[in-house]
Amino acid sequence: MHIVVCAKQIPDPETPPSAFRIDAASNKVVPAQGIAPVLSQFDGIAAEAALRIKEANAGSKVTVISLGADSAASAIKQVLAMGADEGVLLNDPAFEDGDSYTTAKTLAAAIKKLGDVDAVFCGRQAADWDMGQVGLLIAEEMGWPVSIIAKGVTTGGAGLQIQRVVEDGYETVETPLPAVVTVSNEFGEPRYPKLPQIMAAAKKTVTQWKTADLGLDAGEVGAAGARLKLEKLSTPPRGGAVELMPGDSPEEQAAALVAKLRADKII
Amino acid sequence: MPDLTAPTSPKNGRVGAWWGPAVGLSGLGFYAATTIPESAGREIYFNVAHPWAVYVFLAALIGLLVYGLVHHIRLWGIGRPTPGMLSEIPHRFRNAMRLGLAQEKVRRDRYAGIMHWCIFSSIVVLTFVTAQVAIEGDTPIKFLHGTYYLIFSFYGDLFGLIGLIGVGMALNRRYFQDFHRIRWDERLEDHVIIVGLGLVLLSGFLVEAARILVSELVQHPDWAPWSFVSFVIAKGLAGFAMEEASVLTLHAWTWWFHIASAFGWLALIVFTRLDHLFFAPVNAFFLRTDSPGRLAKIEDIEQQEVFGVGYVQDFTWKQLFELDACVRCGRCTEVCPANISGQPLSPMHLIQDLKSHLATVGPDIQTHVHQFGDAGREVSPVAMVGDVIKDETLWACRTCGACMQECPVMIEHVPTIVDMRRFLVMNEARIPATAQSALENLESRGHPWRGTALERTTWMEGLGEVPIFDGSQEYLYWVGCSGSLVERNLPITKAVFRLLGESGASFGVLGQEETCNGDPARRLGNEYLYQILAQQLVETFKSKNVQRVITNCPHCFNTFKNEYPQFDGNFEVLHHTEFLSGALKTGKLKATHAVSADVTYHDSCYLGRLNGQYDAPRQIIEMVPGANLLEMQRNFSKGLCCGAGGGNMWQEEIGERRVNHVRSEEAVRTGASQVISNCPFCIQMFEDGVPAVHPEEEGRMRPFDIAELLEESVFGKR
Repeated sequence: MHIVVCAKQIPDPETPPSAFRIDAASNKVVPAQGIAPVLSQFDGIAAEAALRIKEANAGSKVTVISLGADSAASAIKQVLAMGADEGVLLNDPAFEDGDSYTTAKTLAAAIKKLGDVDAVFCGRQAADWDMGQVGLLIAEEMGWPVSIIAKGVTTGGAGLQIQRVVEDGYETVETPLPAVVTVSNEFGEPRYPKLPQIMAAAKKTVTQWKTADLGLDAGEVGAAGARLKLEKLSTPPRGGAVELMPGDSPEEQAAALVAKLRADKII
Repeated sequence: MPDLTAPTSPKNGRVGAWWGPAVGLSGLGFYAATTIPESAGREIYFNVAHPWAVYVFLAALIGLLVYGLVHHIRLWGIGRPTPGMLSEIPHRFRNAMRLGLAQEKVRRDRYAGIMHWCIFSSIVVLTFVTAQVAIEGDTPIKFLHGTYYLIFSFYGDLFGLIGLIGVGMALNRRYFQDFHRIRWDERLEDHVIIVGLGLVLLSGFLVEAARILVSELVQHPDWAPWSFVSFVIAKGLAGFAMEEASVLTLHAWTWWFHIASAFGWLALIVFTRLDHLFFAPVNAFFLRTDSPGRLAKIEDIEQQEVFGVGYVQDFTWKQLFELDACVRCGRCTEVCPANISGQPLSPMHLIQDLKSHLATVGPDIQTHVHQFGDAGREVSPVAMVGDVIKDETLWACRTCGACMQECPVMIEHVPTIVDMRRFLVMNEARIPATAQSALENLESRGHPWRGTALERTTWMEGLGEVPIFDGSQEYLYWVGCSGSLVERNLPITKAVFRLLGESGASFGVLGQEETCNGDPARRLGNEYLYQILAQQLVETFKSKNVQRVITNCPHCFNTFKNEYPQFDGNFEVLHHTEFLSGALKTGKLKATHAVSADVTYHDSCYLGRLNGQYDAPRQIIEMVPGANLLEMQRNFSKGLCCGAGGGNMWQEEIGERRVNHVRSEEAVRTGASQVISNCPFCIQMFEDGVPAVHPEEEGRMRPFDIAELLEESVFGKR
């Protein structure tokens, strides 16, 4: 089985609030000094899910694809160190500033170029924009079934058996292959790479594809092809207000608090 | 040179006190004996048929010893080469004398020290006595007569008696005292060794008494009392009025019993822990000559096939040799913070488990009959790391060095434990989740504090202009991850900063350019990550022309001082306590405001035990007016770890208690209102531990760094 893992490199979600800045003119996040971008945590979990299937099915292969700039190669290396076989970086200035649609379109083009792909694993969402669209849109582009927010993925039957997280528990579904799966944090932690694999990953070359390699036009990728326009990006105002609950006794104050929380639909 | 072998405090340990009386008595004997005629002496092999049989015993013993040694050497030989074991020979020789022969570490337990000296000196002297008898009896050299014979009789009896006192003390501790550590791994041989030695000594006296009874008591009453113990026994025997023939029969039987039991006892060297007789001094010779705070560097790490030690033959031969030196005394386990807190690590059992694993699989590895797996490693049905030594045992270690400090046979547990951690982390990627998270954070963010909302420059707020190090200043003030990214420690960093400024020191900081120096990665076993971080930082230091570094974290201090030279990073490194006590002494800082408080001082392991700095912090406390130092029971080199060392800052503790609760309890017990330390980890552990053991807020002890204490005294209360 050949599984593609889509991995995105994102600004570190643990950037201290004081170091997180937005450039109002360009509507972009200013990279924080001394804080390197990281692999989106959900994508690491998707890689873990793919690697477990690879280990359970001899002869399987995992390819990691990332759409990003040069620095995204380190996210690919990280997944290679976990045990993925090959890495592809979709790296072209034309890809910049796209939206979920162009990202999915570009990734799907790469998946088609690979040819023999049986399944695509994505994180449930990228931990920077949190849109959760790319996995679904890849499925749309490929014309494949998609199962989202998986907490478990196994092989055994006809295709993949997937435990999907739903509001009050989880449901088990089976999907034929090829298919797209988005993996959630309920799946578990990604593995810690073994040093021999880190060494092997360091020696692997990451394939780089540009717009033309994928048979796409510059006009349909990146900012040019995006359907979503960003109007304004800003940090939420930080601050707090204190409201003291009226009442002469603790009981009265508690009753007032409950009434207030109910009125605000918090409880 | 920080010295794990240093005595607990400067107050105890005097060799001379022991030899004094012995030399004095001998001198007195010599003076009195000058009047004795040359004819004084005795018949060697008196009343003994076929004395040549003794040499059969001797030959058998030598054969056994050679057999045992060859067997051991072959087993140690499966280990890797140990570099540097023959460097600094004079230093090593001194160690062998001081720690092996003079048994400095044995004396860290006073009772055991006396007991062991009695037995040791008795065996040495009586072996010498016996050898003289053999020379007199079986060679043309004759000297056992006249004055010397009587002196010989005297010291033979004296050391026989000393030996019996030692045996008595040992029996007392083993059978009549509630003394736990020697029973944690008690075996049949322990009883045989001590009872056997008692029988050898007693039978020796009985033989001599019987001979005196028939040949000296009446015939030479002026000679007999020189053998003062046997003389008394002979007098006693005389009371039974036995026939001479009976006495001779008793003598003959006892003589042979004495010989057989003595040789039998010596043969125990081959089969029991008595082998420490040889192995302890040799291990003292092989003891590391560099800092105990330094872990070995894996050279050419990218060329390795297996990382760390997961198979017994991946230890160095020195590490395998050490296993055989262990005498199961339990001193390491007794002081181990993990063990004290009921956590799954006993250094003694760890060493013993490795020893029996070596004995089990070693011979097959040595003769290459095992199945060999990856990279030619022996594949044993039980994995050394995982089965024989459990993962959680390795993770419980704080690398505090207390075990190594106490070990009377100079075993170095911590490097052995870290070697196995290296295997777990790098080779197997088996690591507790929280520790993994800290390591991943080190990789991606350059610091171990996952989820911190602080920046490396947050502490500078409100301090005005903070000079950035540019090579023109004398000192680099190294703040460290804990000093800048953990809320509690910011006041410490600010205090050190203010005090450095007040002292007029020329210094700067790196600010955003600081990255972890790698210490947590190395202690947690990720040597690869450590080397990457260390190499980067050494380059940064060199590019900025850093010469002198002041740290407020003893872990950073130890890493820069002891470990960076492995990466060609040679800097003069000071812990802030050293700099501040110096500034106080030279008057550059003046502690003028009184801080009226009873304080207790906690020795951090990495400043105290592993780097030998006990005085500078205490001198600062003494110079703060009003501060009254109350010592905890465990202090100086016997100080108990706060629980955070060895990467345990980032691990969940498994076991009955948390180490920081145990230590906080000890601190609270002094009645002090402040517990003063010198390490951000220790402070964090006390911040958590003190409220746990003292839930009432009223009158609760508060933890402070020594810089915070001094800041209040220099600048007044904020």
